[in-house]
Amino acid sequence: MLEVKNLTKIYDDGTVALKNVSFEVRDGEFLIIIGLSGSGKSTLLRCINRLIEPTEGEIIWDGVNVTAAEAEELRAIRRQIGMIFQQFNLVKRSSVLNNVLSGRLGYMNPWSSLLYRFSAEDLRRAQEALERVGIPEQARKRADELSGGQQQRVGIARALMQEPKIILADEPVASLDPVLAVSILSHLQQLNQEDGISILCSLHYLDLVKIYATRVIGLRGGEIVYRGTREQIRRMTDAEFKEIYGAEAVRISAGLGEGDEPA
Amino acid sequence: MTRNQPFNKDTDVRPSLVGPTIAALLSLILPGLGQLLAGASRRGLLLFFSLGSSIGLLAWRIRLAARREDEVVKIFLKAMSLQPFLIVLVAIVVALWLWIAWDARRQAQAKGAGGAGIFVLVLVVFFALGWQITEIDLYKAVTQISEAGPPLMKILWPWQKAVTQEESYTTARADIVTPCTDNPPAPPDEVPGQPYVMVEPTCGIPSESGKPGTVLTVTGRGYAPNTQTVFWWEDPLGGEFRIWKEGEYLQVQTDDNGAFETQITMPIIVIPPSAGPGPHFHHLEARQTASVGAYKASDELKLAVERMVETIFLGLMATLFGVVLAVPVSFTAARNLMSTSRITLIVYYVSRTVLNIVRSIEPLIWAIIATVWVGLGPFAGIIALTLHSIAALGKLYSESIEGIDPGPIEAIHATGANWLQTIMYAVVPQMIPPFVSFTIYRWDINVRMSTIIGAVGGGGIGFLLIQWIRLLDFRAAGIAVWFIAITVAVLDYVSADIRQRFV
Repeated sequence: MLEVKNLTKIYDDGTVALKNVSFEVRDGEFLIIIGLSGSGKSTLLRCINRLIEPTEGEIIWDGVNVTAAEAEELRAIRRQIGMIFQQFNLVKRSSVLNNVLSGRLGYMNPWSSLLYRFSAEDLRRAQEALERVGIPEQARKRADELSGGQQQRVGIARALMQEPKIILADEPVASLDPVLAVSILSHLQQLNQEDGISILCSLHYLDLVKIYATRVIGLRGGEIVYRGTREQIRRMTDAEFKEIYGAEAVRISAGLGEGDEPA
Repeated sequence: MTRNQPFNKDTDVRPSLVGPTIAALLSLILPGLGQLLAGASRRGLLLFFSLGSSIGLLAWRIRLAARREDEVVKIFLKAMSLQPFLIVLVAIVVALWLWIAWDARRQAQAKGAGGAGIFVLVLVVFFALGWQITEIDLYKAVTQISEAGPPLMKILWPWQKAVTQEESYTTARADIVTPCTDNPPAPPDEVPGQPYVMVEPTCGIPSESGKPGTVLTVTGRGYAPNTQTVFWWEDPLGGEFRIWKEGEYLQVQTDDNGAFETQITMPIIVIPPSAGPGPHFHHLEARQTASVGAYKASDELKLAVERMVETIFLGLMATLFGVVLAVPVSFTAARNLMSTSRITLIVYYVSRTVLNIVRSIEPLIWAIIATVWVGLGPFAGIIALTLHSIAALGKLYSESIEGIDPGPIEAIHATGANWLQTIMYAVVPQMIPPFVSFTIYRWDINVRMSTIIGAVGGGGIGFLLIQWIRLLDFRAAGIAVWFIAITVAVLDYVSADIRQRFV
């Protein structure tokens, strides 16, 4: 279980990205964070594995205080927390296989990893991960030869190599078209339901939130302004919507009708 | 008129201070003054400086054309007669002056009058001056085009010079005495089977200026049949020279039996007074040259090959040193790595500045400095190219460091990797392609540069090339040019291939 307690992040230039944010992700949950760009979603996700150092507050992961962890301990925590990104963050010129294998670095002997020597076990695991996301035949290709949707699958495979208990997904579908977005989120949902991996995901599209989320929090200006279940999201009023997205916001459907499930 | 047009910005500012006629007269006296007073000050200044500088340049060219004259009028007339194109130039400049006066009148009459036409004429004046200053001579270029043929052909196909054969001489000599004494030397003894030459008479008086000397009849036997034979004269001091006849070296072809007969006039022979009054003994030698044996590489070819090998290694070593030294330098010149504190930022600015200065000095100039430093030879070339490579690669490397995608670094961090693993998995894979690409590019440049760095004493084939060109030995120069061209072509191919594999 992941607990975030009174998290505050103030950047060096004085920007307040997060204000006293508290919530928890229970095991097996698919928790989605919604909010405008700049509302602090990315900062929040990066504070959890301390890619960004929080200014105040605590993060407790399975009873361990992440914010107080020293370097070695922090790496041990990080390897249990998979992460996927809006821009996929693959090493474009490396092969797909090497990108996937790099998810294993936290477990490896540092010296053999520097020489790119992976065990047969890790290679088998990487092939399995690629099969899991449906692109086993792309292993030898360079990452930048793949389409955007395939690159994000490589990102998921890399996260799987960490044998994560939770996956942080920072706008995983914002760079993809709606069809691919559904496909990627379905992969995450599958991991969530079959493997019991908790998912903490930030998203733009309310329609996708309605399909996949088990619980939702809304961020605005670095503060949590909304908490609700999937059912509550479905019945969300315009007032609540504007609370999160601002008075100017208009509801835009991504082509998915009210209450419809994807085919 | 739109506001963007540069010369009309001030047209609607002030009314004219003078009338049109006055403005024209003023501009006739001092070009641009009329425009200035008419409110078009930028236009006036621009025209003033245009006309002023073109008159200055014209005066310089006229003075140069008639260097030896002193008086102004004589200088002018001499220059015009020697270089008629100057007349055209004077006419255009005068026309420009008059147009400026007329333009002043129009400026005073109406705001914004007069387009950019006058500036077209200014451009014409400058290009015409440029034509004269750079001594463009199309007539010469067309009529003397045949002159370019022989050297060009020799450079394009120099391979006659790439091989040589052993030469053998068939030679015999006869004695001659100046002046005649009572007992002139007897003709040499004839040995059967050996070449033999005989001079009749065996004594005489050498030619003097305007006074031909004794005519000698030269007969030869026992030479190779139907072969050109040349004649060498050896004076009493041991100096040898070939015999001239009617403005050419004398050559005689032997008949079917290997015999010949010809007549020569005794050449002008300067004998210093210290040699005494004589008699002086001279020798006449009749010589046939024959190429025998197998073809073998000429000295020029061997030299060119040696220097080419030196050149390629020169480029390689300079690239190696350049890369090794540029990598650390490039880290200090990458802004994203150096912007952490004020001290590192100062280091960044210092190394950027030094790199820019070193890079802006051409390798040829570095080579000149290096030859003073370590003497002539390839080492000086290596120093020059290394310095320039460090500067050029340092900039390129540091820019590629600045341009790496931070996303993968974040992603690898997130997997629990340590710092070194992050460098190896997120930074290095991004760095290798640009590093390889820039390094090959630089190697390419260095080998090309090393072919000419020898021209200023930096070693390699450039030194030979310049030397052969100055000796007008176009065939030898052609061999060097061919080697350079082949090397550069191979290099182009290889570097493109390597780049494709890595990048």
